[in-house]
Amino acid sequence: MDKIKFYEQLAQILDIEEVKPENVLKDFETWDSLAILSVLAMADSKYGVTIKADEIRSVVTAADLANLVEAKQK
Amino acid sequence: MKCIFKNKKISAIISVVPKEEYRFDDEYPIFKLTEDKAKRFKKMMSLDRHRIAPPEVCASDLCLCGLQRLLNEGTLKKEEIGALLFVSQTPDYIMPPTSNVLHGKLGLGHDVICLDINQGCSGFLLGLMQAFLLLEIAALPKVVLLNGETGSRLIDRCNRITYPLTGDAGSVTVIERCETESPIYVDVKNDGSRHKSIMIPAGAYRIPSTPETLKLREVEEGVLQSEEHLHMDGPAIFNFTMTDIPPQIDEILSFSGDTRDSIDWFLFHQPNPFILTQMADKMKIPHAKLPNNIVSLFGNCSSVTTPLNAAFNCGEQLQREKLRVCFSGFGVGLTWISMIMDLGPLNACKVVDYEPI
Repeated sequence: MDKIKFYEQLAQILDIEEVKPENVLKDFETWDSLAILSVLAMADSKYGVTIKADEIRSVVTAADLANLVEAKQK
Repeated sequence: MKCIFKNKKISAIISVVPKEEYRFDDEYPIFKLTEDKAKRFKKMMSLDRHRIAPPEVCASDLCLCGLQRLLNEGTLKKEEIGALLFVSQTPDYIMPPTSNVLHGKLGLGHDVICLDINQGCSGFLLGLMQAFLLLEIAALPKVVLLNGETGSRLIDRCNRITYPLTGDAGSVTVIERCETESPIYVDVKNDGSRHKSIMIPAGAYRIPSTPETLKLREVEEGVLQSEEHLHMDGPAIFNFTMTDIPPQIDEILSFSGDTRDSIDWFLFHQPNPFILTQMADKMKIPHAKLPNNIVSLFGNCSSVTTPLNAAFNCGEQLQREKLRVCFSGFGVGLTWISMIMDLGPLNACKVVDYEPI
């Protein structure tokens, strides 16, 4: 998985310029139910994986999210 | 579970929407959204406007208006009504059944079956199935299926997540026998283990209404909800629509021997434009064959969304010609139903504004 591309896509969802792996998702003002829905859609359509409701809720940083998607692809 | 019905047809669909139309651009300040956030939300969900019934208008009133129109225009005669099915989550009373109330208002004879069905987004298709079953076993002339929903009452008006996407509406569908076999292919699936994904937790008998269950709590910044409001587990519902519906569509297409090309219209329930676009892409159904405008123009009206979709987007065409359609309804239960059938030419297929009778 191209993580740099993943962070770019995440930044687009969050409507900001850049997302760094260590960023805490809850710190972004735009990390809301819409963003979560967009992340699920991106995971499904671009990476072919399904993220469960409790999994997305337990994610803390952007890196956690990228690792979750990557782990599911295997 | 798959089944086939024969010698049955839909002969008319009339959907009724309240006159009161509200635009997101005017409403967003009540959701306490900044202009930036409102723009982002509007763009992602293609929000434009929705129809909300005034407080004194019930779901059954919207249905009665449509039914009266069909009777006045001569499309249906009172003595032809052998069964009244009322599908709703917002009935007039806990008891008696709303179908009985409507039976009384219409002044129908005693030889009529009245039945209320508690279903949401798949309620048009579950109602159709019930109508086909009744026509199969009982010697009644026509079945009238009423779908009515005032979903705006189930949420807080300031709830920016659900309120702008919700609409109130009613619909009347007439179902009868026909000489041609015209098989109708149905697939019904249920998963009650996920019933908490879409629910109103309190206010009935498991958790009766108390001042505590009516208390508003903040579930997300600025979003208030009580235990008697509609609760939706967004991620769980998204996964449901992406995981369970596309395989069902593949199954029903192969069950009926159809292809994406042989179907003229995919008339689906519309939860919101974002989810439906994702679904269409996943199922590789061209957007031009899968209308996705009801939530933007009327709001998601639960079980009424599907017949409103047919009447609004294909009404004139369905009054003229026969079309091959694939219906799909999915939601509360969780229940998901798909149906492939020939539809039209219909005696009536239109959307009208509500007028009190």
